[in-house]
Amino acid sequence: MTSRWKFRDHEAEGRMFNRRLNLVLFFIFLMLATLVVKLVDLQVMQYEYFAARSDGNRLHVQYVPPERGLIYDRAGALIADNTPVYSLTIVPEEVDDLEATLDYLAGLVSLDADDIETFDDQLRRSRVPYSSVPLRYVLTEEEKYRVAVNGHRMPGVRMEPQLMRHYPFADLTAHAVGYVSHINQQELDALDETEFENYGGTTHIGKTGVERTYEHLLHGQVGYETVEKNNRGRVTRVLERTEAIRGRDIVLHLDYRLQQVAVEALGDYRGAVVAIEPASGGILAMVSKPGFDPNLFVTGISNRDYSALVTDEINTPLFDRSTNPYPPGSTIKPVLGLAGLHFGHIDYEFTIMDPGWFRLPGVSYRWNNWTMRTAIGGGHGETDLRKAIYQSSDTFFYQLGHTMGIDQIHDFMSLFGFGDNLALDINYARTGVLPSRDWKMETRGEPWYPGDTINSSIGQGYMWATPLQLATAAAVIANEGRMVRPRMLKSVAGELWDFPEQDSVPDVLLEDPDYWRYMRDAMTMVVHRPYSNVFRDYGTAYEYTARADPDMNYLLAGKTGTAQVVGIDQSIRSSEDIRVSDLNKDHALFIAFAPAAHPVIAPRIALAVFVENGESGSAVAGPVAKRISDAWLLDILGLDLEVEPAAESTAASRVSE
Amino acid sequence: MNSRSYGQAAAPQGRWAGRSLNVDIGLLFIVVLLSIFGLAALYSASDGDSALIQRQAAITGLGVVAMLVVAQLDLRLVQRFALHIYLGGLALLALVLAFGVEANGARSWLDLPGLPSFQPSELMKFVVPGMLAAYLASQPLPPRFPRILVAGLLVLLPAGLIVLQNDLGTAMLVAMAGFFVLLLAGMSLRLIAFGGLLALLASPVWFLFYAQEHQKNRIRSFVDPYNDPAGAGYNIIQSQIAIGSGGVTGKGFGEGDQSRLDFIPESHTDFIFAVIAEEFGLAGALILIGLFALLLWRGLRIAVNAGDMFARLLAGGIVLIVFFNVYVNMAMVIGLLPVIGLPLPLISRGGTAIVAFFIGFGLLMSIGADSRKGAARNR
Repeated sequence: MTSRWKFRDHEAEGRMFNRRLNLVLFFIFLMLATLVVKLVDLQVMQYEYFAARSDGNRLHVQYVPPERGLIYDRAGALIADNTPVYSLTIVPEEVDDLEATLDYLAGLVSLDADDIETFDDQLRRSRVPYSSVPLRYVLTEEEKYRVAVNGHRMPGVRMEPQLMRHYPFADLTAHAVGYVSHINQQELDALDETEFENYGGTTHIGKTGVERTYEHLLHGQVGYETVEKNNRGRVTRVLERTEAIRGRDIVLHLDYRLQQVAVEALGDYRGAVVAIEPASGGILAMVSKPGFDPNLFVTGISNRDYSALVTDEINTPLFDRSTNPYPPGSTIKPVLGLAGLHFGHIDYEFTIMDPGWFRLPGVSYRWNNWTMRTAIGGGHGETDLRKAIYQSSDTFFYQLGHTMGIDQIHDFMSLFGFGDNLALDINYARTGVLPSRDWKMETRGEPWYPGDTINSSIGQGYMWATPLQLATAAAVIANEGRMVRPRMLKSVAGELWDFPEQDSVPDVLLEDPDYWRYMRDAMTMVVHRPYSNVFRDYGTAYEYTARADPDMNYLLAGKTGTAQVVGIDQSIRSSEDIRVSDLNKDHALFIAFAPAAHPVIAPRIALAVFVENGESGSAVAGPVAKRISDAWLLDILGLDLEVEPAAESTAASRVSE
Repeated sequence: MNSRSYGQAAAPQGRWAGRSLNVDIGLLFIVVLLSIFGLAALYSASDGDSALIQRQAAITGLGVVAMLVVAQLDLRLVQRFALHIYLGGLALLALVLAFGVEANGARSWLDLPGLPSFQPSELMKFVVPGMLAAYLASQPLPPRFPRILVAGLLVLLPAGLIVLQNDLGTAMLVAMAGFFVLLLAGMSLRLIAFGGLLALLASPVWFLFYAQEHQKNRIRSFVDPYNDPAGAGYNIIQSQIAIGSGGVTGKGFGEGDQSRLDFIPESHTDFIFAVIAEEFGLAGALILIGLFALLLWRGLRIAVNAGDMFARLLAGGIVLIVFFNVYVNMAMVIGLLPVIGLPLPLISRGGTAIVAFFIGFGLLMSIGADSRKGAARNR
């Protein structure tokens, strides 16, 4: 076969080939040596380092967020629940075409501009690769189904289950119970080191109301787990787990049925109701109307919904009327009357001639008895304290206030919690204003004028009080001076909650304890004193309360109040012709407690009703109070209030004597 | 294959019946062991993807059949038709350029009707040394300069066509296959040194003016992977973590955390050695390297014992290109070389590449048979 190349030196070629092969083998040996050396370096010399790196790659300690404690009302109804919801999330790294995926998703679930905007925001922020970015919270059943069926067409799109706070009564409990929402940076910054650790896996925090106040009880203790994650951040297995400790369930004094009654009783009015159990100080109802749906805040309220809430300047649904101050009007008269008795300025026999107006000595300005806007004019004639209460004589209190002076008014009213927040667990409640000389000098830089006292004497002028404070004062009167500080929390995990600071405010001790009985009877007459042939001798609320309900079988002690909203010149004020816009209409107020003067049963409810622009404390606020009182005593507690005929006649005689 | 068609004489029946099958048992044993090793690594890397394993096993089976068929070929026939085969290969490459299908960034697949899609470039790794061996061995060796130039053209033509397919790794292998044949044929070492020096001087120019961005990144991340640990350096970092954490004995079959949790990139193909080194440790890696060394030793023995220069050059070229491929892949995976897209022969997932390697081994067996025949004739 090699005949053509006879002159070729095959031997030499073979030797050359072998030499070249040896040269190649030398290099091959070197190359193999580099491989082995490098392998030994990686796998033997640096083994520990790379083993640690490998574990660092796959092992992650992650937080196990605790389940938030539930909130019940006193009757065991669940007010704040945790319900499983599904969120739609996207892992951007796993999506080929984000734009197309979002378009496709928009056909399956409802996505508005807000959702997309929030999503884009989170996308732009720095984040862990392969972590999911939420797109939509709380998918409906229908949406869940559609996503599940079409999921295979959308790599990177997931549905993640999560326990989400839910408020079944929605706006009914929105203000009192509050809501949780996403933790923001400020809240995180405010946490100390251990708290910060404890919130490692927590997404939501109590923002308002009970949810905020009792965040420390409701939150629980974070757990930990060591998990193995793959390259795409997906957990492949859990290696070690320290369970989270669930937040504690709490029970409030609140009764959702009474909340419902209060909301219904307010009807179309804006306003607030605070009802307190006099024996315990427990808040049975705390309503601010209109409310809002707190569930919107849990999932992250959309800009549209939020601006709808904040731009409603008339209804201001986010504004808690129950803990914000208003001029209390005549509802403070019982407290002032007690002050007059206590300090000895008046007694049971003391009377004035009420001409319907009052004039300070040496001053030409006339303070009208402006609650009576009748063309008849005139006053109440001869008026004692009792009549000054049930007929709400301003003139009487102008004079009493003038006699007492602002210092005594301030000192006495502060015993009832005015100008202060006595609530044990409603720290966001405002303190209102209980004016004094110092206060005016500090805030206005002006001295106190006698005329200021006159305005204050009928709960106007500088005097501002919250419905919560008014209900507290009503409870103190119902308790005959025993101070019970208002509170939301009743028990935790079946144990009655003990507030160590509950006794830090002293009881109100009067010179003569009989003054309490006297004032209670006067307030009872506000509701129950019937019409008679004596001119202006009925209770201001009689027509709309006791008279409207002939079957009423218990006594309700109350006091009407009608508070001026804007400063309208007193001379015009009494004119019937003035047309005031709805927003300038007077606020209607009522404080009450019941049953009053019952031989066996102590008062079970004390309350304050505030009806914004309700115009009339007697016609509007009074019936609201009665309806709530009825509901509590008769429907909810189901008390047997019928009394022995003998006792009944005594009670009745007190009213109409 | 029907050997009668080119048989020289003798009774057909007796010849066929009396002739034993050309099989190099040692070589067969080594490649089968390697294939089993590869299937096991692939099983682990793919997390037990049975469809993938079955496909790989089927291709391996096909490769073994192809190897045994090629082993029966008369080497002289290969020599005589080397140019035809070479031109056919070029034609296929041209077809790829015209009708090629793209996958993984390289447009190197040919999807002809009636045939499974395949990569002609993979076949060129053995077609080119065959052509070169036939050309160089046709004149006395060592080759003179003009013949070296012609040989260089014969190499650069297919290599260039493969570069146009955007498959630099394979193009480099084809070029290296040609170079190995030239080296073994006795090309002047001075010339080689001169060429090497020229390449060394040209490389900065290439890097600055001609390299594509991803190529530059590969070089940069080879120099310092931690410059961009989540980007360009990610592959090599994760690969080294896998290998290093495997230690001496490995984490155990199917227990490689880096591979199981998909931290190893391209674990089925280019980086499968990292899976082996993680799960079987230094021991497993050395065993694999040892098997390849055995393959090398066996192949070089066939080359040394071959009857003439064509057979020697072809055998040497085949063995060296396989070894070179193995080395480049391993060196890349452990961080000794920049990332070059080359799979690990017989271990990585593949189609045409695996069959092509088996065809290469079949040629080795054919050469072995030829030299035995030659020895018998000389006796």
